[in-house]
Amino acid sequence: MAYILQQLLTHSAGRFPEKTAVWARGRSISYRELEEQSNQLAHLLKTCGVKKGDRVGLFFPKSVESIISMFAVMKAGGVYVPLDPQAPVDRIGYIISNCGIKVLITQDERRRALDAATRESLERCVVINQARESGNGSGVIPWSALSEYPASHPPVVTLTETDLAYILYTSGSTGRPKGVMLSHQNALTFVEWCAAKFQITQEDHLSNHAPLHFDLSVFDIYNAIEAGATVHLVTEDIALFPTTLAKFIETHQISVWYSVPSALVLLLLHADLKAEKLPRLRTILFAGEVFPMKYLKQLAELLPAVELDNLYGPTETNVCTYYRVDRERLGSLEKLPIGIACENTEVFAVNDKDEIVSTPGESGELYVRGPAVTYGYWADVEKTKKMVVPNRFQKNFEENIYRTGDLVTLAEDGNYYFVGRRDSMIKSRGYRIELGEIESALLSHPAVREAAAIAVPDEVVGNRIKAVVAAHSEISIKAAELQQHCGTRIPRYMIPELIEFRETLPKTSTGKVDRIQLSRESLPVAV
Amino acid sequence: MTTANETTIKDQVRQFIREELAAAKGIATFTDSESLTENGIIDSLGIFRLVTFLEENFGVRVGDEEISADNLQSVDKIEELVISKSKKK
Repeated sequence: MAYILQQLLTHSAGRFPEKTAVWARGRSISYRELEEQSNQLAHLLKTCGVKKGDRVGLFFPKSVESIISMFAVMKAGGVYVPLDPQAPVDRIGYIISNCGIKVLITQDERRRALDAATRESLERCVVINQARESGNGSGVIPWSALSEYPASHPPVVTLTETDLAYILYTSGSTGRPKGVMLSHQNALTFVEWCAAKFQITQEDHLSNHAPLHFDLSVFDIYNAIEAGATVHLVTEDIALFPTTLAKFIETHQISVWYSVPSALVLLLLHADLKAEKLPRLRTILFAGEVFPMKYLKQLAELLPAVELDNLYGPTETNVCTYYRVDRERLGSLEKLPIGIACENTEVFAVNDKDEIVSTPGESGELYVRGPAVTYGYWADVEKTKKMVVPNRFQKNFEENIYRTGDLVTLAEDGNYYFVGRRDSMIKSRGYRIELGEIESALLSHPAVREAAAIAVPDEVVGNRIKAVVAAHSEISIKAAELQQHCGTRIPRYMIPELIEFRETLPKTSTGKVDRIQLSRESLPVAV
Repeated sequence: MTTANETTIKDQVRQFIREELAAAKGIATFTDSESLTENGIIDSLGIFRLVTFLEENFGVRVGDEEISADNLQSVDKIEELVISKSKKK
């Protein structure tokens, strides 16, 4: 039995050495190659000074090298931090400094684009796209140096399941992203549940639609590797074009698909999906946002033999509940449940009186308990204390539980339904977005006096973002300038699509910006 | 004549992408050969806004199966698509 993630690879490499483990950008790599190259990179990382618990950043578009790097960092005893390759350098610089990354695996042009202070803070950069002969700066090591290191075994490190495996950065309400710390045990609790629930085998072909800094990718990568299956990485040149994506699912004979619902909705609307062209497709998993019922019903009809599962869970717990779509009930369902707890996980809702909800129809905040729950946020004790709290409902021993901030209702049949958020976090294309982070990006512009970010509901992507801004009267500013300014601080999916200027923002009686009023006034974004 | 037309097509495409798509992503500059999907200028909804613009502005019809990286990944490729579609009209 595996208790650390890299054991999944070592086991499968022993069983299926010549089988394809990963396909990406027209290249594939066998289990033997993945095992050997991750051993080599792990040794190289050790010589770069990576010690147990050290964070190593991965900053390049997803590719075969991404998967080699993830395993290599863990084999060196380190903790990998996947960085959004499309994020502004300011945000990347913040994350590198926040979690003290000293070794970065990247591309040469991305390394050069980092600001000087960040570059100087890095002790070593492993550059995936540079030949050995070309002139390197000090501390820059080409990928080709891997060949000098032993392939047959990883370095000797002592890890237990409670050690950290990776850190995923997600939007933070105070204007800066926060790093969710996930241990090997956190990840494996989910991976083992999926392996049993969805019966992944060596015959399967899994897609990887989500970016690697997004927790949906944990299933794609580790469940494929656990089973000795093949994972096919979907890159932007495929993902953004529905017809190309449908063709990809067909030609790669994808059998298990996992993505945010909006990716499936775009396939439904624009790709002419046909069941007969996808005979291998057996399971579709989706998570990250609410699947609009209209489209889910269409998908269920179009692919009658495919099992559909709604997975729910914040990054802090990976996935904690699931609901298997029952086609017979689907016609009468108005809303899709988030379902019941996964095995080895307990969930419960806590009402305003601080009691556990047990009566159907009652609502409360969802709490999660069990080995999937994060330790908290990297270098943020305050935030951790607020969200990962002692379990006051159980007195026998000390343990922490996670407050999701999601309001849910318990139904008659035992399923939970998502109702809304306690705070101003929203979802767009499955991404978690703290409206406060957008507002602080807007407010950092000298011309902006007041700013409010608002979510405008959208059928396909969940929400679109609009901002209402009051500028200092003496400075003239255009929407495009502000959007460009935001682009230097927050990821592209968080930049408001529409910016409306007003003299002043409406206030509540307590003097706060009246978001409810602004949301009411905001019709869906006309584009 | 062709040169003048092609310049116009490219200018209009560039202007639309700059003002309608790139600005909202906080991006000010891009080259004609740069991949608009890799740099994040075009996202899953931007693709369809671009196609609508091409259809309305140049009077061409772009089928779902033609919405691909090969045809739409860069300003250069978009121009090629519009020219080849216009010739077939």
